[in-house]
Amino acid sequence: MRRKPGIGGLQNAAAARNQFRLVGENVAKVKTDMMKGQLATFRSQLEEFAHKHKHDIRKNPAFRSQFHEMCAKVGVDPLASNKGFWAELLGIGDFYYELGVQIVDICLATRAHNGGLINLQELCHLLRQRRRSDRGAVSEDDCLRAISKLKVLGSGFEVISVGKKKLVRSVPTELNKDHNEILELAQAQGFVTVEEVERRLSWTPGRTIDALETLLKEGLAMIDDGHRDGKRRYWFPCVSPISSLVAADS
Amino acid sequence: MQKLGEFKLPHFFNYPPYFTLQPVRATREKQVQLWKDLILDYCRTQKIFVVGVDEEFPLFSNPAIERSLSHEAREAFLSALVSEGRAEWMDKGHKNCLILWYRIQDWADIVVQFARDNGLEDGVVTIEELRSGTESQGTELHGIDRTILNRALKLLEQKGKLVIFKGTSADDEGVKFSL
Repeated sequence: MRRKPGIGGLQNAAAARNQFRLVGENVAKVKTDMMKGQLATFRSQLEEFAHKHKHDIRKNPAFRSQFHEMCAKVGVDPLASNKGFWAELLGIGDFYYELGVQIVDICLATRAHNGGLINLQELCHLLRQRRRSDRGAVSEDDCLRAISKLKVLGSGFEVISVGKKKLVRSVPTELNKDHNEILELAQAQGFVTVEEVERRLSWTPGRTIDALETLLKEGLAMIDDGHRDGKRRYWFPCVSPISSLVAADS
Repeated sequence: MQKLGEFKLPHFFNYPPYFTLQPVRATREKQVQLWKDLILDYCRTQKIFVVGVDEEFPLFSNPAIERSLSHEAREAFLSALVSEGRAEWMDKGHKNCLILWYRIQDWADIVVQFARDNGLEDGVVTIEELRSGTESQGTELHGIDRTILNRALKLLEQKGKLVIFKGTSADDEGVKFSL
Protein backbone atom coordinates (compact mmCIF):
# COMPACT_ATOMS: atom_id res chain seq x y z
CA MET A 1 0.00 0.00 0.00
CA ARG A 2 1.32 3.29 -1.04
CA ARG A 3 1.86 5.78 1.73
CA LYS A 4 0.25 9.07 1.18
CA PRO A 5 2.50 12.04 1.70
CA GLY A 6 2.15 13.06 5.30
CA ILE A 7 3.09 16.17 7.12
CA GLY A 8 6.15 14.41 8.58
CA GLY A 9 7.56 13.64 5.15
CA LEU A 10 7.18 17.24 4.04
CA GLN A 11 8.86 18.45 7.18
CA ASN A 12 11.69 15.99 6.65
CA ALA A 13 12.24 17.18 3.11
CA ALA A 14 12.20 20.82 4.21
CA ALA A 15 14.69 20.11 7.00
CA ALA A 16 17.03 18.33 4.60
CA ARG A 17 16.86 21.27 2.18
CA ASN A 18 17.62 23.59 5.03
CA GLN A 19 20.61 21.54 6.03
CA PHE A 20 21.94 21.53 2.52
CA ARG A 21 21.51 25.27 2.28
CA LEU A 22 23.34 25.83 5.53
CA VAL A 23 26.23 23.63 4.50
CA GLY A 24 26.33 25.39 1.12
CA GLU A 25 26.38 28.78 2.77
CA ASN A 26 29.14 27.67 5.04
CA VAL A 27 31.24 26.44 2.20
CA ALA A 28 30.68 29.68 0.26
CA LYS A 29 31.60 31.73 3.32
CA VAL A 30 34.75 29.75 3.88
CA LYS A 31 35.67 30.24 0.25
CA THR A 32 34.99 34.00 0.32
CA ASP A 33 36.97 34.36 3.49
CA MET A 34 39.80 32.48 1.94
CA MET A 35 39.64 34.70 -1.14
CA LYS A 36 39.49 37.79 1.00
CA GLY A 37 42.46 36.58 2.93
CA GLN A 38 44.38 35.86 -0.24
CA LEU A 39 43.54 39.24 -1.68
CA ALA A 40 44.62 40.97 1.51
CA THR A 41 47.86 39.04 1.49
CA PHE A 42 48.35 39.85 -2.17
CA ARG A 43 47.65 43.49 -1.66
CA SER A 44 49.98 43.74 1.28
CA GLN A 45 52.61 41.83 -0.65
CA LEU A 46 52.23 44.16 -3.60
CA GLU A 47 52.38 47.14 -1.29
CA GLU A 48 55.41 45.74 0.39
CA PHE A 49 56.99 45.07 -2.98
CA ALA A 50 56.21 48.58 -4.15
CA HIS A 51 57.59 49.99 -0.91
CA LYS A 52 60.71 47.96 -1.15
CA HIS A 53 61.32 48.82 -4.79
CA LYS A 54 59.96 52.34 -4.72
CA HIS A 55 63.36 53.64 -5.62
CA ASP A 56 63.81 51.27 -8.54
CA ILE A 57 60.35 51.96 -9.86
CA ARG A 58 61.06 55.64 -9.94
CA LYS A 59 64.56 55.55 -11.30
CA ASN A 60 64.78 52.52 -13.51
CA PRO A 61 62.65 52.62 -16.67
CA ALA A 62 63.07 48.92 -17.40
CA PHE A 63 62.02 48.00 -13.90
CA ARG A 64 59.10 50.41 -14.14
CA SER A 65 57.92 48.84 -17.34
CA GLN A 66 58.05 45.37 -15.79
CA PHE A 67 56.20 46.59 -12.75
CA HIS A 68 53.47 47.95 -15.02
CA GLU A 69 53.28 44.63 -16.81
CA MET A 70 52.92 42.78 -13.54
CA CYS A 71 50.20 45.15 -12.41
CA ALA A 72 48.37 44.72 -15.68
CA LYS A 73 48.44 40.94 -15.29
CA VAL A 74 46.72 41.07 -11.94
CA GLY A 75 44.29 43.73 -13.14
CA VAL A 76 45.64 46.72 -11.26
CA ASP A 77 46.21 50.03 -13.02
CA PRO A 78 48.46 52.26 -10.97
CA LEU A 79 47.60 55.14 -13.28
CA ALA A 80 43.84 54.76 -13.11
CA SER A 81 43.54 57.37 -10.45
CA ASN A 82 45.80 59.93 -8.94
CA LYS A 83 44.25 59.22 -5.58
CA GLY A 84 44.56 55.97 -3.76
CA PHE A 85 47.52 54.26 -2.35
CA TRP A 86 49.52 53.89 -5.56
CA ALA A 87 49.76 57.57 -6.07
CA GLU A 88 50.53 58.19 -2.44
CA LEU A 89 53.02 55.41 -2.38
CA LEU A 90 54.85 56.02 -5.61
CA GLY A 91 53.84 59.39 -6.91
CA ILE A 92 53.68 57.44 -10.13
CA GLY A 93 50.61 59.23 -11.41
CA ASP A 94 52.29 62.59 -11.13
CA PHE A 95 55.27 61.25 -13.00
CA TYR A 96 53.17 60.40 -16.02
CA TYR A 97 51.10 63.57 -15.88
CA GLU A 98 54.30 65.54 -15.90
CA LEU A 99 55.57 63.54 -18.86
CA GLY A 100 52.26 64.13 -20.61
CA VAL A 101 52.52 67.88 -20.22
CA GLN A 102 56.09 67.84 -21.50
CA ILE A 103 55.10 65.68 -24.47
CA VAL A 104 52.33 68.09 -25.42
CA ASP A 105 54.83 70.91 -25.12
CA ILE A 106 57.35 69.27 -27.41
CA CYS A 107 54.72 68.31 -29.96
CA LEU A 108 53.54 71.91 -30.13
CA ALA A 109 57.04 73.32 -30.34
CA THR A 110 58.04 71.08 -33.23
CA ARG A 111 54.72 71.21 -35.04
CA ALA A 112 55.73 73.99 -37.42
CA HIS A 113 58.63 71.89 -38.51
CA ASN A 114 57.16 68.42 -38.70
CA GLY A 115 53.50 69.12 -39.23
CA GLY A 116 52.47 67.48 -35.99
CA LEU A 117 53.92 64.07 -36.62
CA ILE A 118 56.99 63.10 -34.68
CA ASN A 119 59.07 59.99 -34.42
CA LEU A 120 58.69 58.37 -31.01
CA GLN A 121 62.45 58.00 -30.66
CA GLU A 122 62.99 61.69 -31.25
CA LEU A 123 60.22 62.61 -28.90
CA CYS A 124 61.97 60.59 -26.22
CA HIS A 125 65.27 62.17 -27.11
CA LEU A 126 63.81 65.65 -26.74
CA LEU A 127 62.05 64.64 -23.58
CA ARG A 128 65.30 63.46 -22.07
CA GLN A 129 67.03 66.64 -23.14
CA ARG A 130 64.35 68.70 -21.48
CA ARG A 131 64.46 66.65 -18.29
CA ARG A 132 68.21 66.44 -18.17
CA SER A 133 68.41 68.09 -14.81
CA ASP A 134 65.60 65.92 -13.58
CA ARG A 135 66.26 62.67 -11.84
CA GLY A 136 65.48 59.38 -13.43
CA ALA A 137 65.50 58.19 -16.99
CA VAL A 138 62.53 58.03 -19.35
CA SER A 139 61.94 55.10 -21.65
CA GLU A 140 59.83 54.82 -24.78
CA ASP A 141 57.48 52.69 -22.75
CA ASP A 142 56.98 55.60 -20.37
CA CYS A 143 56.26 57.89 -23.31
CA LEU A 144 53.65 55.52 -24.66
CA ARG A 145 51.98 55.27 -21.27
CA ALA A 146 51.91 59.03 -20.86
CA ILE A 147 50.48 59.45 -24.37
CA SER A 148 47.79 56.86 -23.70
CA LYS A 149 46.74 58.98 -20.73
CA LEU A 150 46.57 62.05 -22.97
CA LYS A 151 43.80 60.43 -24.97
CA VAL A 152 41.25 61.33 -22.32
CA LEU A 153 41.78 64.94 -23.30
CA GLY A 154 40.35 64.12 -26.68
CA SER A 155 43.03 66.20 -28.30
CA GLY A 156 43.84 63.61 -30.90
CA PHE A 157 47.11 62.39 -29.49
CA GLU A 158 47.78 59.05 -30.99
CA VAL A 159 50.58 56.65 -31.69
CA ILE A 160 50.64 55.22 -35.18
CA SER A 161 52.89 52.53 -36.49
CA VAL A 162 54.52 53.12 -39.83
CA GLY A 163 56.72 50.27 -40.86
CA LYS A 164 58.98 49.52 -37.94
CA LYS A 165 58.78 52.99 -36.50
CA LYS A 166 56.25 54.47 -34.18
CA LEU A 167 55.10 58.01 -34.85
CA VAL A 168 53.23 60.24 -32.45
CA ARG A 169 50.49 62.28 -34.02
CA SER A 170 49.39 65.48 -32.33
CA VAL A 171 47.15 66.91 -35.06
CA PRO A 172 43.80 65.50 -36.05
CA THR A 173 45.01 64.76 -39.57
CA GLU A 174 43.66 61.48 -40.83
CA LEU A 175 46.42 59.60 -42.55
CA ASN A 176 45.11 57.04 -44.97
CA LYS A 177 46.83 53.90 -46.10
CA ASP A 178 48.49 55.64 -49.04
CA HIS A 179 50.07 58.25 -46.78
CA ASN A 180 51.31 55.59 -44.43
CA GLU A 181 52.91 53.68 -47.25
CA ILE A 182 54.72 56.77 -48.45
CA LEU A 183 55.98 57.50 -44.94
CA GLU A 184 57.17 53.94 -44.68
CA LEU A 185 58.99 54.24 -47.98
CA ALA A 186 60.56 57.52 -46.87
CA GLN A 187 62.10 55.93 -43.80
CA ALA A 188 64.94 54.53 -45.83
CA GLN A 189 66.44 57.85 -46.94
CA GLY A 190 64.24 60.49 -45.33
CA PHE A 191 62.72 61.43 -48.68
CA VAL A 192 60.93 60.02 -51.73
CA THR A 193 60.57 61.07 -55.35
CA VAL A 194 57.44 60.73 -57.44
CA GLU A 195 59.22 58.20 -59.61
CA GLU A 196 60.28 56.10 -56.67
CA VAL A 197 56.77 55.97 -55.25
CA GLU A 198 55.31 54.99 -58.61
CA ARG A 199 57.88 52.29 -59.09
CA ARG A 200 58.03 50.82 -55.60
CA LEU A 201 54.33 50.93 -54.84
CA SER A 202 53.10 50.45 -58.43
CA TRP A 203 50.86 53.48 -58.22
CA THR A 204 49.57 55.66 -61.03
CA PRO A 205 51.06 59.17 -61.28
CA GLY A 206 47.73 60.66 -60.23
CA ARG A 207 47.49 58.64 -57.06
CA THR A 208 51.11 59.39 -56.18
CA ILE A 209 50.85 63.11 -56.73
CA ASP A 210 47.57 63.32 -54.89
CA ALA A 211 48.99 61.63 -51.80
CA LEU A 212 52.18 63.69 -51.86
CA GLU A 213 50.28 66.94 -52.30
CA THR A 214 48.13 66.13 -49.30
CA LEU A 215 51.17 65.39 -47.16
CA LEU A 216 52.71 68.65 -48.33
CA LYS A 217 49.61 70.64 -47.51
CA GLU A 218 49.41 69.11 -44.06
CA GLY A 219 52.92 70.33 -43.39
CA LEU A 220 54.24 66.79 -43.10
CA ALA A 221 56.45 67.06 -46.17
CA MET A 222 58.93 69.58 -47.58
CA ILE A 223 60.02 69.84 -51.18
CA ASP A 224 63.63 69.90 -52.29
CA ASP A 225 64.43 70.94 -55.85
CA GLY A 226 68.13 71.34 -55.28
CA HIS A 227 69.50 67.96 -56.24
CA ARG A 228 71.75 67.62 -59.27
CA ASP A 229 69.42 65.18 -61.02
CA GLY A 230 66.73 67.86 -61.03
CA LYS A 231 64.14 65.50 -59.58
CA ARG A 232 61.96 66.93 -56.88
CA ARG A 233 62.43 65.22 -53.55
CA TYR A 234 59.79 65.12 -50.86
CA TRP A 235 61.38 65.10 -47.43
CA PHE A 236 59.56 64.05 -44.29
CA PRO A 237 60.89 65.69 -41.13
CA CYS A 238 58.94 63.21 -39.01
CA VAL A 239 61.12 60.34 -40.19
CA SER A 240 64.40 62.25 -40.29
CA PRO A 241 66.33 62.84 -37.10
CA ILE A 242 66.77 66.48 -38.09
CA SER A 243 63.46 67.51 -36.61
CA SER A 244 64.61 66.99 -33.07
CA LEU A 245 67.73 68.94 -33.77
CA VAL A 246 65.91 71.91 -35.22
CA ALA A 247 63.61 71.99 -32.25
CA ALA A 248 66.53 71.81 -29.90
CA ASP A 249 68.11 74.81 -31.59
CA SER A 250 65.17 77.11 -31.38
CA MET B 1 77.99 69.91 -35.92
CA GLN B 2 79.13 71.77 -39.00
CA LYS B 3 81.04 74.98 -38.52
CA LEU B 4 81.99 78.00 -40.56
CA GLY B 5 85.18 79.13 -38.94
CA GLU B 6 84.15 79.73 -35.35
CA PHE B 7 80.50 79.97 -36.24
CA LYS B 8 78.30 77.02 -35.31
CA LEU B 9 75.79 76.29 -38.02
CA PRO B 10 72.29 75.29 -37.00
CA HIS B 11 71.14 71.81 -37.89
CA PHE B 12 68.53 72.87 -40.38
CA PHE B 13 71.42 74.04 -42.56
CA ASN B 14 72.10 70.38 -43.28
CA TYR B 15 68.55 69.49 -44.22
CA PRO B 16 68.20 69.82 -48.00
CA PRO B 17 64.59 71.05 -48.29
CA TYR B 18 65.47 74.20 -46.37
CA PHE B 19 67.34 75.27 -49.49
CA THR B 20 64.17 75.22 -51.59
CA LEU B 21 61.48 77.82 -51.02
CA GLN B 22 58.55 75.93 -49.55
CA PRO B 23 55.19 76.33 -51.29
CA VAL B 24 53.00 75.71 -48.25
CA ARG B 25 52.53 78.86 -46.20
CA ALA B 26 52.99 77.54 -42.66
CA THR B 27 56.08 75.60 -43.65
CA ARG B 28 57.48 78.58 -45.52
CA GLU B 29 56.98 80.87 -42.53
CA LYS B 30 58.99 78.54 -40.34
CA GLN B 31 61.65 78.25 -43.01
CA VAL B 32 61.93 82.03 -43.44
CA GLN B 33 62.14 82.51 -39.68
CA LEU B 34 65.04 80.07 -39.36
CA TRP B 35 66.93 81.71 -42.21
CA LYS B 36 66.35 85.23 -40.88
CA ASP B 37 67.76 84.26 -37.51
CA LEU B 38 70.71 82.53 -39.11
CA ILE B 39 71.61 85.47 -41.38
CA LEU B 40 71.39 88.01 -38.54
CA ASP B 41 73.34 85.77 -36.21
CA TYR B 42 76.07 85.10 -38.71
CA CYS B 43 76.45 88.73 -39.78
CA ARG B 44 76.61 89.89 -36.16
CA THR B 45 79.32 87.44 -35.14
CA GLN B 46 81.30 87.93 -38.35
CA LYS B 47 80.76 91.72 -38.48
CA ILE B 48 79.32 91.57 -41.96
CA PHE B 49 77.31 94.61 -43.00
CA VAL B 50 76.56 94.10 -46.66
CA VAL B 51 75.31 90.94 -48.33
CA GLY B 52 75.31 90.79 -52.14
CA VAL B 53 72.43 88.71 -53.39
CA ASP B 54 74.35 87.22 -56.29
CA GLU B 55 77.73 87.14 -54.65
CA GLU B 56 79.53 84.43 -52.77
CA PHE B 57 78.22 84.25 -49.26
CA PRO B 58 79.02 81.28 -47.03
CA LEU B 59 75.43 80.85 -45.89
CA PHE B 60 73.98 80.71 -49.38
CA SER B 61 75.34 77.28 -50.15
CA ASN B 62 76.19 74.14 -48.27
CA PRO B 63 78.72 72.00 -50.13
CA ALA B 64 78.30 69.20 -47.61
CA ILE B 65 74.81 68.45 -48.89
CA GLU B 66 75.32 69.98 -52.34
CA ARG B 67 72.59 72.53 -52.01
CA SER B 68 72.51 76.26 -52.57
CA LEU B 69 69.83 78.89 -52.38
CA SER B 70 68.29 80.12 -55.59
CA HIS B 71 68.30 83.84 -56.37
CA GLU B 72 64.61 83.86 -55.55
CA ALA B 73 65.14 82.28 -52.15
CA ARG B 74 67.97 84.64 -51.23
CA GLU B 75 65.85 87.62 -52.13
CA ALA B 76 62.89 86.22 -50.19
CA PHE B 77 64.88 85.75 -46.97
CA LEU B 78 66.57 89.14 -47.20
CA SER B 79 63.25 90.83 -48.04
CA ALA B 80 61.77 89.26 -44.93
CA LEU B 81 64.55 90.93 -42.93
CA VAL B 82 63.90 94.23 -44.71
CA SER B 83 60.21 94.11 -43.87
CA GLU B 84 61.13 93.70 -40.22
CA GLY B 85 63.49 96.64 -40.26
CA ARG B 86 66.50 94.39 -39.76
CA ALA B 87 67.91 95.09 -43.23
CA GLU B 88 67.66 97.55 -46.09
CA TRP B 89 68.05 97.22 -49.81
CA MET B 90 70.85 99.47 -51.00
CA ASP B 91 69.56 99.71 -54.57
CA LYS B 92 66.33 99.42 -56.48
CA GLY B 93 67.50 96.25 -58.20
CA HIS B 94 67.86 94.48 -54.85
CA LYS B 95 71.46 93.52 -55.50
CA ASN B 96 72.99 94.50 -52.20
CA CYS B 97 71.46 94.37 -48.81
CA LEU B 98 72.55 96.26 -45.71
CA ILE B 99 72.15 94.01 -42.70
CA LEU B 100 71.12 95.79 -39.51
CA TRP B 101 71.86 93.32 -36.73
CA TYR B 102 71.68 96.43 -34.62
CA ARG B 103 68.95 98.83 -35.66
CA ILE B 104 70.00 102.38 -36.55
CA GLN B 105 68.70 103.56 -33.18
CA ASP B 106 70.89 101.01 -31.40
CA TRP B 107 73.93 102.13 -33.38
CA ALA B 108 73.17 105.74 -32.41
CA ASP B 109 73.11 104.71 -28.75
CA ILE B 110 76.45 103.00 -29.21
CA VAL B 111 77.94 106.18 -30.72
CA VAL B 112 76.66 108.23 -27.76
CA GLN B 113 78.11 105.72 -25.31
CA PHE B 114 81.42 105.83 -27.15
CA ALA B 115 81.49 109.63 -26.92
CA ARG B 116 80.75 109.53 -23.17
CA ASP B 117 83.39 106.85 -22.54
CA ASN B 118 85.99 108.97 -24.27
CA GLY B 119 85.08 112.34 -22.76
CA LEU B 120 83.85 113.68 -26.09
CA GLU B 121 80.63 115.22 -24.72
CA ASP B 122 81.59 118.53 -26.36
CA GLY B 123 84.41 117.18 -28.44
CA VAL B 124 85.13 116.97 -32.11
CA VAL B 125 86.02 113.81 -33.93
CA THR B 126 86.24 112.78 -37.56
CA ILE B 127 83.94 110.10 -38.86
CA GLU B 128 86.92 108.04 -39.94
CA GLU B 129 88.25 108.16 -36.38
CA LEU B 130 84.98 106.81 -35.09
CA ARG B 131 85.31 103.83 -37.41
CA SER B 132 89.00 103.11 -37.21
CA GLY B 133 90.67 105.33 -34.63
CA THR B 134 92.61 103.92 -31.70
CA GLU B 135 89.81 104.75 -29.29
CA SER B 136 87.30 102.73 -31.25
CA GLN B 137 89.47 99.61 -31.27
CA GLY B 138 87.79 96.79 -29.45
CA THR B 139 84.44 98.58 -29.45
CA GLU B 140 81.39 97.79 -31.54
CA LEU B 141 82.12 100.83 -33.68
CA HIS B 142 85.37 99.47 -34.97
CA GLY B 143 85.00 98.68 -38.64
CA ILE B 144 81.35 99.74 -38.79
CA ASP B 145 79.91 100.19 -42.26
CA ARG B 146 80.15 103.80 -43.41
CA THR B 147 76.55 103.94 -44.57
CA ILE B 148 75.21 102.66 -41.28
CA LEU B 149 77.42 105.03 -39.29
CA ASN B 150 76.24 107.98 -41.39
CA ARG B 151 72.63 107.00 -40.80
CA ALA B 152 73.18 106.76 -37.06
CA LEU B 153 74.96 110.15 -37.00
CA LYS B 154 72.15 111.76 -39.02
CA LEU B 155 69.66 110.40 -36.52
CA LEU B 156 71.67 111.94 -33.67
CA GLU B 157 71.93 115.20 -35.58
CA GLN B 158 68.15 115.32 -35.89
CA LYS B 159 67.95 114.89 -32.14
CA GLY B 160 70.43 117.73 -31.61
CA LYS B 161 73.05 115.49 -30.02
CA LEU B 162 75.71 116.44 -32.54
CA VAL B 163 76.46 118.45 -35.65
CA ILE B 164 77.99 116.93 -38.76
CA PHE B 165 80.37 119.20 -40.62
CA LYS B 166 81.91 118.71 -44.02
CA GLY B 167 85.61 118.89 -44.65
CA THR B 168 87.42 119.30 -47.95
CA SER B 169 87.16 115.55 -48.66
CA ALA B 170 85.13 112.64 -47.38
CA ASP B 171 88.00 111.77 -45.03
CA ASP B 172 87.72 115.04 -43.17
CA GLU B 173 84.04 114.82 -42.42
CA GLY B 174 83.59 115.15 -38.73
CA VAL B 175 81.12 115.61 -35.93
CA LYS B 176 80.89 117.87 -32.96
CA PHE B 177 79.08 116.29 -30.06
CA SER B 178 76.89 118.30 -27.73
CA LEU B 179 75.58 115.77 -25.26
